[in-house]
Amino acid sequence: MLTCDDYLTPTTLAAAFDAIERNAGRHRLIAGGTDLLSWAREGRAGDVHVPVLIDVTRIPELCERRVGAERVRFGAATPIARFLDDRALAAAVPSMAFSADWFACGQIREQATVGGNLVNASPAGDAIPPLLAQSAEVELAARVDGEIRLRRLPLSDFLVSSGRTRLGENEILTAIECDALPGRGAAYEKVGHRRSLVISVVCLAVVVELDASRRRFADVRLALGGVGPVARRLHAVEDFLKGGPIDRERLEAAAEMPLDFVQSRSRRAYRREVVRGFVVRGLVNALKRADVADGVVEPELEAVYA
Amino acid sequence: MPDLQITATVNGREVTRAVKPWHRLLDFLREDLGLTGTKEGCGAGECGTCSVFVDGVLIKSCLMPVAKAQGTRIDTVEALGRRQFTAVQKAFKKAGASQCGFCIPGMVMAATAALRDSPRADREEIRERLGGNICRCTGYQKIVDAIELARDVLLGLKPESVFDEETTADGHYTGRNVGRIDAPSKVTGALKYAGDMVMPGMLHAQVLRSPHAHARILSIDTSAAKAMPGVEAVVTCDDVPGVDNYGVFVSDQPVLARGKVRFVGDAVAAVAAVDLVTARRALAAIRVDYEPLPAVFSAEEARRPGAPVVHDYAPNNVTKHIPVRVGDVEKGFAESDLIVERVYETQPVEHAYLEPEAGLAYVDPDDVVTIWSPSQNITHHRHMLARILARPINKVRMIMSPVGGGFGGKEDMIYQGILALLAIETKQPVRLVFTREESMAVSAKRHPSRTRLKMGVTRDGLIRAVEYEMVCDGGAYGLSTEGVMRKAAILGAGPYRVPNLKLDTWGIYTNNTPSGAFRSFGGLQAQFATESHLDVVAEMLGLDPFEIRRINAMRVGTATHTKQELKSASLLEVLEAAAKASGWDTGAPTSRGAVRGDLFGPGNRVPLAPGSRVDLRMPAEAGEVK
Ligand SMILES: Cc1cc2nc3c(=O)[nH]c(=O)nc-3n(C[C@H](O)[C@H](O)[C@H](O)COP(=O)(O)OP(=O)(O)OC[C@H]3O[C@@H](n4cnc5c(N)ncnc54)[C@H](O)[C@@H]3O)c2cc1C
Ligand code: FES
Ligand code: FES
Repeated sequence: MLTCDDYLTPTTLAAAFDAIERNAGRHRLIAGGTDLLSWAREGRAGDVHVPVLIDVTRIPELCERRVGAERVRFGAATPIARFLDDRALAAAVPSMAFSADWFACGQIREQATVGGNLVNASPAGDAIPPLLAQSAEVELAARVDGEIRLRRLPLSDFLVSSGRTRLGENEILTAIECDALPGRGAAYEKVGHRRSLVISVVCLAVVVELDASRRRFADVRLALGGVGPVARRLHAVEDFLKGGPIDRERLEAAAEMPLDFVQSRSRRAYRREVVRGFVVRGLVNALKRADVADGVVEPELEAVYA
Repeated sequence: MPDLQITATVNGREVTRAVKPWHRLLDFLREDLGLTGTKEGCGAGECGTCSVFVDGVLIKSCLMPVAKAQGTRIDTVEALGRRQFTAVQKAFKKAGASQCGFCIPGMVMAATAALRDSPRADREEIRERLGGNICRCTGYQKIVDAIELARDVLLGLKPESVFDEETTADGHYTGRNVGRIDAPSKVTGALKYAGDMVMPGMLHAQVLRSPHAHARILSIDTSAAKAMPGVEAVVTCDDVPGVDNYGVFVSDQPVLARGKVRFVGDAVAAVAAVDLVTARRALAAIRVDYEPLPAVFSAEEARRPGAPVVHDYAPNNVTKHIPVRVGDVEKGFAESDLIVERVYETQPVEHAYLEPEAGLAYVDPDDVVTIWSPSQNITHHRHMLARILARPINKVRMIMSPVGGGFGGKEDMIYQGILALLAIETKQPVRLVFTREESMAVSAKRHPSRTRLKMGVTRDGLIRAVEYEMVCDGGAYGLSTEGVMRKAAILGAGPYRVPNLKLDTWGIYTNNTPSGAFRSFGGLQAQFATESHLDVVAEMLGLDPFEIRRINAMRVGTATHTKQELKSASLLEVLEAAAKASGWDTGAPTSRGAVRGDLFGPGNRVPLAPGSRVDLRMPAEAGEVK
């Protein structure tokens, strides 16, 4: 059970910092609350009393969404559901759209925020691989000597380990910026115990762009989660894939490359098999959505993996 | 603690309340506004019994701090069908979609949302859209049937009259789709389960539970808890006025741990306080000194000489042994062409009914201790309680509240005694509602079992002898173990003629969570071993698995293993129907027909591929959105 003495809902960034400064050390930020409320229960943190909860979801900077030609910017308090139903956002961040379809359930997607997912920094957080694949940066705000200062970090630097980030004590994650990748083929592969409301045992985000021949990658991005303390981009695999024509041999060889990233303590052999299958399946699904040339993805390959 | 002032439009009416700042929207609805159609099945976002609309968007109210509801429009199940049922409610009623009903308000809300967002959703999409809501009773088929029916009526594809009930003017009900009497109260959320009930001056109970699997209790100090403002009573085993030893088959359980604890979660002390938070804080103030004892965690270990003893009355840890002997197994094995021996194991299973255990107790003006709870065994509980409370039976009253799913899990009396003590102590109504975690940790489980099965058969598949030993982990208390062992013994060798049988079932004490009643009551574990074994034997003999069952089936006139002569027997018909329904390819398990009739055929489900609903078509141009 999560209890507090005071629940504040500032409507400006300045008011949020006022609240933080007034209650420094006695406060905790809350966005959707889906992680915080389910964490303060028996078997996890038990009953938790936080003197002051500061709700960040009504601060305008954390709610804005802007889709530009090169980069997309969205506030940390953006609910996961917007990546499915805001057309412009979904088109520009396609890997998040596919991930969002796998996220919790329709109801929690309306409550859970993308910022909460990143700060929670679960090894299995479903917003993380897609945003790594789209080269996201996080924007962090702090107020120093009465002045709000912003700093930016690549998401890959922001995430330190399971549950740990570089978020400073009195900092707020305000926004996320990432590459705008409209028109790309994308996929999100996830497996857990069931279809809805499930933590990823393995998850993989894929974004591809084909060259003019539609038989080679112009760009390919993969990010893998659920198998180690932090999700990661698979740069070496990406380079290998870009090194030659797309064929079964190359895809299957690529699938062998990230197996040693599987560090989970439990079900390691299973996860390795899944990673192998997901790399091929994710690429096949993304390639089809990128309108790959006929015959490049053999029907047999599709039958085996997709 | 300053209260929050919340103003919101709830079911069309503006309401303002001062609420605790930590309250969730769920608490606001249930506690502050008394709208108990919205349920709390888990409190952690997993079950969907708490689903409500906030500004038209379906969310889980157990995960939403009430402060977020400020200025919003909230619609709960109570808003639907005030004057007339909605199509979804009518369809749920017509399709028989509600069983225990605990999930149903949430399901009705989720179904309403699904058809609002996607009026033409097909069956697969409906299933997917309901992914956030769990039902433990229906298997979902009738719920999805209902939503399809509602969809078709809303789209004008079917007339409203499909919701009409079949008439039973001729007085015949068998084979008719007759409306459930309790369906209206379930689809509207009007039905009150124990956790929904309130009484003036009601206190809230919480239970302190053992962190040890096996430990001696050296002392319990409740003084600090008792001194806390708002705490009305703290009880331990010392407050039990009568015989503090009860159980369904064997009396081996105290209301609150006496002398020692026997599993993680064993109840040690209980508090009644003015509110839940105070009750929980009081628990933290109770000091218990334990001396940990060696514990035993498997039935095998517990049977070994020298194993830790869980109950002094049973030095060998045996709760119950049931032997069945027919003929002479040694002779039967000698007559067999093939003898096969295997071991089969099953795991503990949680019932996971959506309604966590709850109860409300009070002492009425005539000094009758009255307890409302979803008990599946009220008469027996009443008898046990009279002895525990040292009262004549007419001074103890058990009232069965609607059971929000039981499946056997609410047969054992694991909290009603505690409630009675607190009500007697405080002379005020006391309510206890388990958290989901507490329910999982302390309620009885399906018995984990380990069965060694040795079967002798002739070349043509006739069973000559069976030696069968099933050992079950009964956990820390007897509960229904004896009955489960009896039923497993009766059904163990299956509906098959076995001329020579040596069968034993054992229920064993361990320091695990107690095992108890669960649908089929021992039949499942027993059948799992025997039926799996028949498949193995059929394969070794090159026989069709149906055939080996037909050869050995009990028929009219057969005496069962416990000597009951059968006046009717339908196994052969059941086998025929099963073979037909499964599209069975006749042959030994090692053979396969030309086509697999069991895959991709009619009636098989092709799930919706995740991502197939993602729509990435670009809006006219990139730029500012919203
Ligand atoms: C039933 C259920 C199913 C779930 N399914 C999934 C799933 O499928 N995939 C998945 O990835 N996750 C899942 N989750 C986890 C959770 O919903 C997500 O991690 C969610 O994105 C968290 O966001 P939130 O806004 O609810 O975070 P909150 O609970 O509000 O906050 C989480 C943490 O982030 C901090 N925080 C939040 N916003 C900020 C900010 N702007 N600046 C600084 N700190 C901040 C908070 O202080 C807190 O420590 C599930 C949770 C539940 C209960
Ligand atoms: S989802 Fe809210 S009570 Fe279960
Ligand atoms: S009817 Fe759905 S849980 Fe009982």
